[in-house]
Amino acid sequence: MDINMGNGGIGVPVVRRDAMAKVLGVAQYAADFPHENTAYAALTLSKVARGRISRLDTAAAEAVAGVRMVLTHRSLNESLGDETFVMKGGHMQSSFLPLTSDEIHYAGQIVSLTIADTLEAAEEAARLVAIDYAREAASASMDDAGLTEEPADSGIDVGDAEAAFAAAEVKVDATYVTPAQHHNPIELYAASAAWQDGKLLINLPSQWVMGTRAGLAKVFGIPIEDVHVESPYVGGAFGAKASILPHVVLVAMAARRLGRPVKLVVPREAGFTVGSFRPAARSRVRLAATRQGKLTAVMHDEVGQSAVIDHVAFAGMEATSKMYASPNIRMRAATVATDVNSPGFMRAPAEAPSFFGFESAMDELAVALGIDPVELRIMNEPARDPVSGLPWSSRLLVECYRRGAALFGWSDRNPKPGSMVAADGTLIGYGCATATYPSAMAPSSARVRLSADGSCVVYCAAHDVGTGAYTVLGQVAADVLGVPDELVTVEMGHSRHPSGPVSGGSITTGSAGSAVHMAARAVRERLFATVAAGQDRSKMTLADRHVVLPDGSRRAISDIIGGLPGGVIEEHADWKPTDMDDKTMQQGLAGGMAFAGPVGGTHVSFSFGAQFAEVRIDPLLRTIRVARMVGVFACGRIINPRTARSNLMGGMIWGASSALLEESQIDRARGRFANTDLASYHFAANADVGEVVVEMLDEHDSVVNAIGTKAVGEVGIVGMPAAIANAVYHATGVRVRKTPILMEDLL
Amino acid sequence: MRPFLYSRATSLEQAMSEAAQSHAAIMAGGTTLVDLMRGDLTGAEHVIDIGHLPGLAKVELDGPVLRFGALARMADVAELPFLKQNYPALVESLQLAASQQIRNAATLGGNLLQRTRCVYFRDGVSDCNKRVPGSGCTALDGEDREMALFGASDRCVATYPGDWGTALAAFDTSIEISSAAGTKTVKFADFHVAYGDDPARESILQPGEIVTAILVQATPAGRHSTYVKVRDRQSYAYAVTSAAVALELDGDRVTAARVSLGGVASKPWRAPAAEAALVGQVLNQAVALEAGRAAFADAKALRHNGFKIDLGARTVARAAMVAKGKH
Ligand SMILES: Cc1cc2nc3c(=O)[nH]c(=O)nc-3n(C[C@H](O)[C@H](O)[C@H](O)COP(=O)(O)OP(=O)(O)OC[C@H]3O[C@@H](n4cnc5c(N)ncnc54)[C@H](O)[C@@H]3O)c2cc1C
Repeated sequence: MDINMGNGGIGVPVVRRDAMAKVLGVAQYAADFPHENTAYAALTLSKVARGRISRLDTAAAEAVAGVRMVLTHRSLNESLGDETFVMKGGHMQSSFLPLTSDEIHYAGQIVSLTIADTLEAAEEAARLVAIDYAREAASASMDDAGLTEEPADSGIDVGDAEAAFAAAEVKVDATYVTPAQHHNPIELYAASAAWQDGKLLINLPSQWVMGTRAGLAKVFGIPIEDVHVESPYVGGAFGAKASILPHVVLVAMAARRLGRPVKLVVPREAGFTVGSFRPAARSRVRLAATRQGKLTAVMHDEVGQSAVIDHVAFAGMEATSKMYASPNIRMRAATVATDVNSPGFMRAPAEAPSFFGFESAMDELAVALGIDPVELRIMNEPARDPVSGLPWSSRLLVECYRRGAALFGWSDRNPKPGSMVAADGTLIGYGCATATYPSAMAPSSARVRLSADGSCVVYCAAHDVGTGAYTVLGQVAADVLGVPDELVTVEMGHSRHPSGPVSGGSITTGSAGSAVHMAARAVRERLFATVAAGQDRSKMTLADRHVVLPDGSRRAISDIIGGLPGGVIEEHADWKPTDMDDKTMQQGLAGGMAFAGPVGGTHVSFSFGAQFAEVRIDPLLRTIRVARMVGVFACGRIINPRTARSNLMGGMIWGASSALLEESQIDRARGRFANTDLASYHFAANADVGEVVVEMLDEHDSVVNAIGTKAVGEVGIVGMPAAIANAVYHATGVRVRKTPILMEDLL
Repeated sequence: MRPFLYSRATSLEQAMSEAAQSHAAIMAGGTTLVDLMRGDLTGAEHVIDIGHLPGLAKVELDGPVLRFGALARMADVAELPFLKQNYPALVESLQLAASQQIRNAATLGGNLLQRTRCVYFRDGVSDCNKRVPGSGCTALDGEDREMALFGASDRCVATYPGDWGTALAAFDTSIEISSAAGTKTVKFADFHVAYGDDPARESILQPGEIVTAILVQATPAGRHSTYVKVRDRQSYAYAVTSAAVALELDGDRVTAARVSLGGVASKPWRAPAAEAALVGQVLNQAVALEAGRAAFADAKALRHNGFKIDLGARTVARAAMVAKGKH
C-alpha cells in the first residue's frame, strides 16, 4: 500500500467542504439553476393501473392562458433512439417511456406533460387534461391471486442442502416478508433542460452524470459531447437518481420542440410512480445445525416483486450465502411480475430485504439451540467464502461482534424473552444481526492540477449525493500531494469532467478515490522529476508544500511549479479495478455500467458489520421505541471518520425506520400505492431515534484497491431491521416475521 | 392550480360578508387550507385571510368559562402556565399535534376544521363521497387501518384527525360562531357532523359563518386530565388511537369522569359508557381497562382496523391512570 500518512489528509475527520454552502442555502440544486426564459412543466398522471386511454381531450388545457404545449401520446409522435432499461445495460429507469403509446401499465404513469409560461398555468392546465380510460384488471401486489413465480436465476448450490436439512438435529424454517418502500429523498426529482445550437444542457439531481449523458445522447440521436449534464449537489438519492427517469426525456423533448428552456419539479406524490421503488419481497429461510450449533444447511428462497414492463430481481443471496460456514448451501431467487412502475435500486437493494429474513432466522436458530446469538454467529465464521472457496480480501466480522457486544453491554442480556423489565414496567429487548455489503468497484478517471501556490483542484465526474465525497476525494489528493485540505478544491457532478462512476453500490470512494490517488501520484512524480532529475524518487517525500529530498533538504512547491510553463502541474488518470479488462474499462468510462467484484479472480471483498439494538416496549400500548443502536463495522481504510460515521449512522437510522415504520401500502383493489405523501408514508422522526453508536475498526485491506477502502455507504442499513425484530422477540417473546413491525403485531 | 382571488380581511364584518359568497374559503394560519388547495380539494375561488384580524387571538382563562379566541396559535396556547397547571389534557393535545413549526402558524379555530387525512380523500383521484358526492367510498375495500370504528357508514369511514378537538370533547365545550346575522353559541357535540351521516359536510358551519371563539366551562376535573396519543411514529404523526380523560376524584374514588376518543371516530367522540364505568369506582388498572372496553363496546370494525378496539381500550385505560396521577 502506498499511503503517505504524514500529511493528515487520510484518516482525519475533516468537516464536509460543502457543509457551509448547504447550511447557508447558497448551494444550488438542479431546480435552482436559472435558465433564461424558462417555461414550466406540470404532469398529469394515470388514474388507472392498466388499460388504454380511450378518450383524450386537451382543449380545455390548451385554452388556459399562457399554455405553450400539452405533450401527450398523440402529440409526442417522434421516434427516439432506442435506449434501454438500466438493468439491461442501458440507462433508463424503465424500458417503457410514457407518452409513447396509449397503453397504461401502472397507476400514476405520466399521461401528459403540460408546459406554460408560469408554473400556476401549467398546473391548472395539467388538471384540465381530460382523459377516459378503458380499464383492465391490474395486480400491483405480488400477493394477488393468479400471479406466478418465475425463477430469476440458476441459484447457488454447494453440497446437498435439502438432504442435510432433512437429516438435521435442529432446524428453522420460516418465511419473512418486507413491503414495497420508496426512497423519498428530500430533494424532489427535477429536470431543467435547455438546447443551444443542437446541444442539450440539462440540470437534474443525478447519481450518474456520465450515464445520463450517454443515455440522453442515444435517445436524442446526438453525439455524446453535445450533452451536458450538471448535478453538483444532490439532496438525497439512495439509488433513486441513478438512472434516467422518464420525465427527464420528456422535459428535454419539450424544450427542444419549444425552442425554450423547460423546467419540471416532480411533486412528492408523483415521485412515487415517476421514479422507482424498493419492491416487496418474501424470503423463506431454512437453517439446520448440529446440537452444538454448527450449521449443516443454509437455504434461502427469495421471491421479489417485479414489474410486467421490466423484469427486476434483487435477491440478496450472493451475500447471505457467504455469511456463515456451512457445507451445504442452496439459494434460489424468483420474481412475480406486477402492474407497477419499474422497481429500482434503493439503499442496499438486494441485501436489506434479504438480511431481514436471513438474520431473523439466525436468531430463531439461536433460540432453538439455546445458544447466544452472538456466539452462534462467531461459531460459524467461515475462513473462506463458502461458495467460491476464495479467501476474503479482509473480514473482521468476529472482531466487529466482540467489540460491538462490549460497547453495547450484551453481557447484561438475560436470554429469556420478556425477562428484562424496567422499573416502570417497560419491556426491554436486546437483539443483534450481521450486516454486509459487497465491495465492488468501477473504472474512473480523474484529473488533478497542482498550482504554484500549493492549491490543488480535483476534477471527476463522480457525485457527492450528500455522502461527503467532495471532502473525501479532496483528502486523498491532499494526502498524496502533502498540501493542507483547505487548499484542495473538488469539482464533481458535471459530465464535462473526467469520467466518474455511478454513485451506486457504495463504490465512489474506492473507485473515484483510486483514480484521484493515481492522478495525484502522477502529479507528484512530475514534481519529483522536475526538482531533482536523477535522484532516487522513492526516498523523496512531500510535506507541508515542500518536496523533501533524500538528503533531507527541502524545496518549496511554489519555486518548483512557478518555474514551469503555465505555472501548474496537471495530470489525468484512468483507473480500473485489477480484475477488469481494458474493454470493460472503456465501456465504463464511456458511461456504461461496468462493475468488478465483489468476487474477483483471487479474493472476495465485502464490508462487514455487527449491529445491536435495544428496544423498549410499552407493556400496555405495545408501542415500540428503539432506545439504542450500536454498529461496529469493518470497511477497510476509513478516509474520513466523520463522513463515514455519518453514512453508517444514516443507514442504521433508516434500518430502524424500515423495521418499524416504512411501507408503501398497496391498494390492491385499484392496483396503486395508497400512501403517497409524507403525512402517510412514515419514516423516522428525530424522536424515534435514540442513541446511535458507530465504530469503525482499523482494518487493513491490502488487496481491495490502492487506497485500501471498502464499501461504506450502504452496509449500515443491512442488519438493523433484523436486529430490531430480534430485540422485539427478546422483549416480548413474539416473533414478527414482517416489517414494519407495528403495535398491533404485539397486542 | 386553480386560479383564485386572495384578499386580506381588514374587519370581521368584511370577512363575514365576503365569506358568504359561493366558493369562498376562510384562511387563518393556512396550514390546512393551502394543502387542500394544492390538492384541488376545496374548489375555493376566493380566499379570505382572517389571520391578522385584531382581537380574535385573545385567550381569557380567569372566569367561569375559559375563552379561546379562534385565532390563538396552537404553540402560544400550549405554553400558557395556567392551562398547563389546570387543564393538562388541553395543553397535551396541542403539544402532541403536528410539529412546532406548524403549531407556530396554526390556529385553534383552524385546527377544529381540519379535514380528514383519509388517503383516498387526499389523493384527489380515488372515488370519495367527501370529494365527489355519490362517487363511492374507496376505503371500504381499500387500506382501512386508519379508518373509523364509530360514526362511519358505507358512504364514508374516514376518521376525524384532530387532537385538540378530541380533548375539547372531554369538557363542556361550546363554539362561538359569528355571521352577519349575529353571534350564536353551539354545543361542541353538535358542531361537527359525523362523516358517516353526510360525508361532504363536516361541520354545521354555513357560508358566511366564522368561528370566533372556543368556550370551555371551567371545571376541577381539568386538573386531573390528560391526553394520551398512540401513534406509530413518536412525533409528527396523527393518532392511531387517542383518549382524553378528565376526572374528579374523592381520594381514589372517581366522582365524575369525562372520556373522549380520537383516531377511531368520524368526529371528536365522547364515550359515555366509559365515563359510567369509571364513576363511583376506586380507580385502578383493572377498572381503567374495564372502562376502556366499555368505550369500545359498540365499535364497528372494518378489515384491518379491528386492533384499534383493543388498543383503544388500552389507550383509555392508560389515560385514566395518568389522569388520576396528575395533581
Ligand atoms: C404535516 C401536518 C401534520 C399535522 N399533524 C397534526 C396532528 O398531529 N394533530 C392535529 O391535531 N393536527 C395536525 N395537523 C393539522 C394542523 O393542526 C392544522 O393544519 C391547523 O391546526 C389548522 O389551523 P390553521 O389556522 O392553519 O387553519 P387553516 O388552514 O387556515 O384553516 C383550516 C380550515 O378551517 C377553516 N377556518 C379556519 N379558521 C376558521 C374560522 N375562524 N372560522 C371558520 N373557518 C375557519 C378554513 O377555511 C379551512 O377550511 C397537521 C398539519 C400538517 C400540515
